[in-house]
Amino acid sequence: MITTVTILIPLLGAILMMLLPDEERLLRYAALGVAAVPLLLTVYVYFAFGDDLGVAALSQDVTWIRSLNIGYRVGLNGLGFGMFFLSTFLTVIAILASWDVSRNLKQYFAALFVAEVGMLGVFAAQDLILFYIFFEITLIPMYLLVGVWGDENRRPAAIKFFIYTFLGSTVMLAGFLAFGILADTYSMDALGGGGGLSRTAQVAVAAPILFGLLVKVPAVPLHSWLLDVYVSSPTSTNVLLSGVLPKLGTYGLIAVAIPLLPQGVEPFLPYIAAFGVVNIVYGAFVAFLQPDLKALVAYSSIGTLGFILLGAASGNSVGLNGAVFQQVSHGLYSALLFILVGVIAARTGTRRIEELGGLAARMPWVGGLLALGALAAMGLPGLAVFVSEFMSIMGAYAAFPVQGVLAALGIILSAMYLLYMLGRVIFGPIERPEYDEIVDAGPAEMVSIVPLAVLLVVLGIFPALLISLQRPAVDAVLSVIGGS
Amino acid sequence: MVAILPELISTGFLILVLLVGAFSESNTGAAVGLAAIGTLAVFVSSAVLLATGFSGSFFGGGYVVDGFALYFKLIVAGSAFFAVLAAARWSGQTGDAPEYLTLILSVVLGSTLLVSMRDLFGIFLAIELATIPSYAMVAFDRSRRESAEGGMKYLITGVIASSVLLYGIVLIYGVSGSAMLSDVADTFTGSLTPVAVLGLVLMISGFAFKLSAAPFHFWTPDAYQGAPTSAAAFLSVGPKAATFAVLLRILLEGMPEAAPTWTAVMAFLAIITMFVGNLFALRQRNVRRMLAYSSVAHSGYILAAFAALQGGGVAFAVQAVLIYTAAYAVMNMGAFLVIDLVGEDAKSYNGLVRTNPGVAASMALFMAALVGIPPLSGFFGKLWIIIAGAPTGSVLVYIVVGALVVNTVLSVPYYFGIIRNMIFEEPTTDTVTSKGGAAVRFSVYVLAVLATLFGLLIVPLSALVGASGLA
Repeated sequence: MITTVTILIPLLGAILMMLLPDEERLLRYAALGVAAVPLLLTVYVYFAFGDDLGVAALSQDVTWIRSLNIGYRVGLNGLGFGMFFLSTFLTVIAILASWDVSRNLKQYFAALFVAEVGMLGVFAAQDLILFYIFFEITLIPMYLLVGVWGDENRRPAAIKFFIYTFLGSTVMLAGFLAFGILADTYSMDALGGGGGLSRTAQVAVAAPILFGLLVKVPAVPLHSWLLDVYVSSPTSTNVLLSGVLPKLGTYGLIAVAIPLLPQGVEPFLPYIAAFGVVNIVYGAFVAFLQPDLKALVAYSSIGTLGFILLGAASGNSVGLNGAVFQQVSHGLYSALLFILVGVIAARTGTRRIEELGGLAARMPWVGGLLALGALAAMGLPGLAVFVSEFMSIMGAYAAFPVQGVLAALGIILSAMYLLYMLGRVIFGPIERPEYDEIVDAGPAEMVSIVPLAVLLVVLGIFPALLISLQRPAVDAVLSVIGGS
Repeated sequence: MVAILPELISTGFLILVLLVGAFSESNTGAAVGLAAIGTLAVFVSSAVLLATGFSGSFFGGGYVVDGFALYFKLIVAGSAFFAVLAAARWSGQTGDAPEYLTLILSVVLGSTLLVSMRDLFGIFLAIELATIPSYAMVAFDRSRRESAEGGMKYLITGVIASSVLLYGIVLIYGVSGSAMLSDVADTFTGSLTPVAVLGLVLMISGFAFKLSAAPFHFWTPDAYQGAPTSAAAFLSVGPKAATFAVLLRILLEGMPEAAPTWTAVMAFLAIITMFVGNLFALRQRNVRRMLAYSSVAHSGYILAAFAALQGGGVAFAVQAVLIYTAAYAVMNMGAFLVIDLVGEDAKSYNGLVRTNPGVAASMALFMAALVGIPPLSGFFGKLWIIIAGAPTGSVLVYIVVGALVVNTVLSVPYYFGIIRNMIFEEPTTDTVTSKGGAAVRFSVYVLAVLATLFGLLIVPLSALVGASGLA
């Protein structure tokens, strides 16, 4: 019940936004108040039920369409809890970071809330059709967030985003339907381990599902929709776009494709690991070439998603735990970097790296936190990303040594471009005289930045806070796929 | 008496509305009120019959009342109610509301009779009873030349279609010696004679005209563009659903043994219809014309369910037709009514979200529902068709289902073109902020809510179609 309530509160929030008078302060506080409720509920779940999120705790199972055996089945388990929490958390952050949105604020918040419904639903769904429905619910609000509030290139970016991901998820739906028809149910609980399908049938069903999920991630080379969308979006949309949306794909891989179709996914695992490596290496190389700071962060974000694919494909405890954890730590660091880029662009009026320089002298907080974010991205020990990337690589090395070694090399590449970026942007002489005038981030901005940095550090020092919670669920997946 | 209660009610109100027109001077209000109550009464009486589980065969077996027939009577009466509300505003300007409303009620009468017919000649008569008033409805807007042109084209092709249909029926009658579907079923077994096949093909072609299936669809864009909006909205939804229903009944009750032949024909029709509808819709700048081609495409989707009426897919395919027609009625009716409020030029939708947010949001929902995005109504229709296709075990059906998926993605640009205009473009001087029409506005909102909450409606609906009595 608490799961359903948490999913539905943002929907009520969206309706509330449309009813409130068009007054900026009121809207911002109201949105914040509504968004805090799911976050607090999730924190409550963490402390009250954190110890038994093994399989599908806090679940609800209501028959929906009897003749097709489709149900409203939701539940929270250790695989989805981290992302469920992160979605509520990043929605609050996104509302705090929405200072660059002033036009049509109520519609903006309403769209954010509808997107949150879809995201929360995906991480809680225990029925394939419900999973798909929530997956698609995010589509239209994201399309609007990019298309209405983005920069001048927003419209082609928005429609590109929509058509690519709609195509991907339609193919995925075809796979789900074939799976459900063959197994005669859509309940993920009943489908565990393949739902009685033969190996050949599992492979045939897994192929379209994996395609749809990898488009959503996006795995290189299915990523061509992404750059325009990331670069055109307003900062607060970036927070969700990079922090949560890719995880709809990776979570589908970890919590749906692998445990439900173990034999069907198995032949694809080496390729998924290879996709991961390609993401890491390609992301790092292309990031190096970007003249635009936001594009650099976008490619960095694509690159480090590769570690999730890598860990998920490993099929062992270390790798899977790393992948599940990396979903969260990736969301934290990429949200942090995108917000900082937003602050820098707002202050200096440019995002071109060559036009920036010496910002640390005028903006010590922003510079310092940018350094923290960049160090997190390159996997500095003591920060959350290190733990999860390290675990993913260790797991992958055990299963696919070549991919594991290449991924480790990818970390070096990412260090190169991130250090280069830091050197250009925050250190060195002040590039332009007008930068003497700029001021550091104020309290209004810091309030959206600091929590992200704090969580990056806390989870880096105490990873067990999250890993202890996800381990039982990961063990359940391992027992299905026969890994160790 | 009870068996034909809905039909008696619509006949009674038809006469009343006609009398109001003849004997009252300022008659719009009274006529609209009566017609609205009439359609509601037809709806309620059908619903009561359905709820009490009334069923049976009457008039020597030529007329049947079952869950299946009553379900479609609900769709016809429900869509007619919204058409009456929409007609209120339009026909009030020319002062001949009662005549127009009489035509709507005649179509309701014909369509509700049609879904209960079990006799081929009865079916033909009911189709004509529903179609002949609809020619007049299309041509009713005397202030626009397109209306007369559309009506003329619709009339000529409609008459040809009727004669083709009648040839087919006569040949089937000649082969089987009876027009009763149960007797026809005894003849259409084993290998069919050439005359029987000819009769079957001619009959299906006649229906393909009526259902605007390609390659017999060419009258549709002109007729829908010319017609008063309420007429296009109603004709594309209510009578069309009834025609699909009776075709389903003929095929399943009259020639179940010949399924391999007609499912192949249906698969062929479905594939061309989907592609023709969507590819032509992509090129349209006129929203009404776009929706006309879109309705061609949706006929193709429903025909895809007909192709799945074989093997293990029969039960789900019948349900798919029922669910899809209800889902389509809600979203398509809504989209047409928005045209009534805003206009038919794609440019008039520019920036609508700023000038008229409620209508714009509703239109966005209808467009997304027509694409088939969950959890809106169109999604459930397509879901059922795909599920029906799977257990058939026929490669041809798999190809049809594949074409349906491809066409769904293909249709995104033109439906979303409207959403883009409404939300991303700046309002231009062409943008009509509001042309009044409280009743139409109300209908649009109700339909938008229905399209959005279809996921809840599906619970009773799926129970209903599971026990519809056909297959």
